[in-house]
Amino acid sequence: MLRTEGLTRYFGGLRALAGVDYSLEGEGVFGLIGPNGSGKTTLFNIITGLYRPSAGRVTFMGKDISRLGPHRVIAMGIARTFQTPRIYARMTVRENLLAAQHTLARAARAADRAARIDRMLEVTGLAARRDELAKNLPLPEQRRLELARALARAPKLLLLDEPAGGMTPAETDEMARLIEEVAAPGRTCIVIEHKMDMIARLCADVCVLNFGAKIAEGTPDEVLKDPVVLEAYIGRTGGPS
Amino acid sequence: MDFIQNTVDGIMIGSRYSLLAIGFTLIFGIMRRLNLSYGPSIMLGVFIGTFLFVQYQAGWFAIAAATLLGAILVGIYVERLCFWAIRQGAALASMVSSFAIWMQLEELTTLFFPNRTYPFPRLTSAKPFEVAGINIQASYLIMFGFAVAIMVALNFALYRTRFGLAVRAVSENPLAARFMGVSTGRVTFFAFVLASAIGGIAGYLIAANEQQVTPLFGLWATFKGMIAMMLGGMGSVPGAILGGFVLGVVESHATWYLGTEFRDIAAYGLLFVFLVLRPGGLLGQRRAERERLALRRV
Amino acid sequence: MDEYTIQVLSNIGMFSFIALSAYLLLMTGEISFGQQAFFAIGAYASGIATSMWGWGLGLGILWGALVAAAAAFLLAWPTLRLRGLYFAIGTLAFAEMVRLVFEIFRYQVEIDGELVGPDGSDGFRGVRYTFENDISNFQYMLLIYVLLAAVLVFFFLMGRSRLGAIFRMLGEDELLAEMQGVNRTFYKVLATVLAGFIAGIGGALYVHLNTYVEPKIFNVMLGVHSLAYGLIGGLGTSLGPLLGVAIDIGLLESIRIFTGYRMIVFGGLVAVLLIVRPRGLLDEEVVHWLKYRMWRPFARPVRRQPDATPREVRDAQD
Repeated sequence: MLRTEGLTRYFGGLRALAGVDYSLEGEGVFGLIGPNGSGKTTLFNIITGLYRPSAGRVTFMGKDISRLGPHRVIAMGIARTFQTPRIYARMTVRENLLAAQHTLARAARAADRAARIDRMLEVTGLAARRDELAKNLPLPEQRRLELARALARAPKLLLLDEPAGGMTPAETDEMARLIEEVAAPGRTCIVIEHKMDMIARLCADVCVLNFGAKIAEGTPDEVLKDPVVLEAYIGRTGGPS
Repeated sequence: MDFIQNTVDGIMIGSRYSLLAIGFTLIFGIMRRLNLSYGPSIMLGVFIGTFLFVQYQAGWFAIAAATLLGAILVGIYVERLCFWAIRQGAALASMVSSFAIWMQLEELTTLFFPNRTYPFPRLTSAKPFEVAGINIQASYLIMFGFAVAIMVALNFALYRTRFGLAVRAVSENPLAARFMGVSTGRVTFFAFVLASAIGGIAGYLIAANEQQVTPLFGLWATFKGMIAMMLGGMGSVPGAILGGFVLGVVESHATWYLGTEFRDIAAYGLLFVFLVLRPGGLLGQRRAERERLALRRV
Repeated sequence: MDEYTIQVLSNIGMFSFIALSAYLLLMTGEISFGQQAFFAIGAYASGIATSMWGWGLGLGILWGALVAAAAAFLLAWPTLRLRGLYFAIGTLAFAEMVRLVFEIFRYQVEIDGELVGPDGSDGFRGVRYTFENDISNFQYMLLIYVLLAAVLVFFFLMGRSRLGAIFRMLGEDELLAEMQGVNRTFYKVLATVLAGFIAGIGGALYVHLNTYVEPKIFNVMLGVHSLAYGLIGGLGTSLGPLLGVAIDIGLLESIRIFTGYRMIVFGGLVAVLLIVRPRGLLDEEVVHWLKYRMWRPFARPVRRQPDATPREVRDAQD
């Protein structure tokens, strides 16, 4: 479904991605981990068309999307969230979800749209906040709003960039549950995270990047015991927490 | 021959614009906001100078000092009220606030100086001279000299001093700078003072060159400074200098070939063309940096 | 109603158009210092139509607005790729060029033995339609407000429609909007054209009331003012710009003691206001509070579904 071949990206003299070959098939949640600066978000940015690759290419459902802009990529059925939630701050929660659906040709009648939005609000636990300005929401709720927004167009591929960033263990747990029950069923998800317990819980398969190159791939168990991975994260001694 | 004379004239005249643009670009580079009160604050300084000249027949040094001091004091007023006091994301509010103060300063000026024009001590009594068949006016040469000198001095300050480093850090990324112990408030304040001082020098030189000041100075200075800044590239000091020269040259040629009515149209037309084709200006910034510069939150 | 009040109210009405014009662009996230260009074009075009081509007032105003909209269309393209301050300065440069062009623009015809028409920097005199057709100042003021009401209705409807939501999406986060499929080019051009049209109406009304305009009037001061009105009155609603105009013209006109000090006081007040309310009096927060807290103090009780089955959950997202 998603495949990158020799994906490379330079920013000036800095090599953010170095020939990454990555491929995904089928539904489920897949992990993408690595120390900060290893190129994970850059990979997301290239897939979603915010950057063009310096070399290599990305294909989705067989089509080369390397050079497509964001709105085309989204139209093909890819959605993403950001490390810092990207939402319409001065619009209400409900309006944010309305906005996400506005450009859909399908959802014809306003009543249908409203019903879908209401269901989405309830499922993500934001129903009580429907009329609140998005900027007034606490972080975990902003992330849930962003998730709801990303799901609004029923994407086939969902990219989640640190969905539990800055959240307490309880909030992380809740987000993991949300991903398991709401986001994951029926589609492919890639999750970037630093919280290994969340990765271990959600992901069938994990890919590890370091300095822009893929250094390991496998089940969470395999990857988290891999000495190469450990060294990248922690240094020579110690194990994952 | 005419062409060369016009070009040289243009560069000379353009040094006025360069001087004005430097202060503008310094403030923009650090704050990412336009200071629409820049011209009027200089003007107030210049008018204080003229006051000393008319009332007390003060010497040129005292007048220059007064102009400089006046411009700095008003600059501080503007900085505190319109920029420091307004929170980070509200750039438009700052600009409109500086516009409101512009109007305040203009009215203040006309209140105390109601005449259409006031005399100002001349810059130099030297006569225009000829070099290789080209006419050069001494006073313009002085301004040119100052523009270059200030650019060199600023370059030194920005790249060889700790203060300059702090200024560049804050221009790049204010948040990161704060985390590294740089007090953005103080850096911004001093950058403003510096910009106002340069503006004061510019104001003095321009007024002395014209031997008069009018209340229209504020608007004129703001516009010319802004256009020169944009031509050279927002936030770039050498760009400001270059932009000033380019503006001067274009105006000079436009006046010669098309007449004075077209001089300003040519200036704005040039600005517009630059914006469309090369928004980064001559010493322009690359696209990614421009995107960062462009305001996202209004 | 005495003549003075009528005059003040008429001015408030007319300048509201240009304030709304700048506000519309601000909604889409663009700062424009140049709406005065379209105000000017609307004035000149409609003035020419009624005083030189013998058209009726209604048609003249429409013509003025259409010409202004066409000019806006032309401006939209070169400025499309400009963002933020670059766009602002671009509009400023454009507006100044328009003003300077009017300073040398001459187009006169002879009517009843005298020359009528724009005469460069001497301005455009003799737009006497209201006199020749016996339209009183009071009637004209009503006309202004009828048209203003129409524009406000447009804003109101737009606010509740897809178009308004898309404009606001662009204003909040352009990149996000593009990622959600919004065609930036189309909507930016549309916004520019609509804003030009609205400013054009204002200009057309202005020239017919004053019977005379000169290029000097359409300067940068007017441009930044029109933006400032929205910023003072509040960016949360289309009534914000109107409030800003009313405050400037209405309040200050009547405070006679301030003649000579008017701008000193007003400028200072605006600066202070912007410190505490950088998005104006009726900003999004206040409007939101009014809409949801004041009018709906009892929120609809929310049904909870703690044990949603996976299938139900999947249906929710379709």
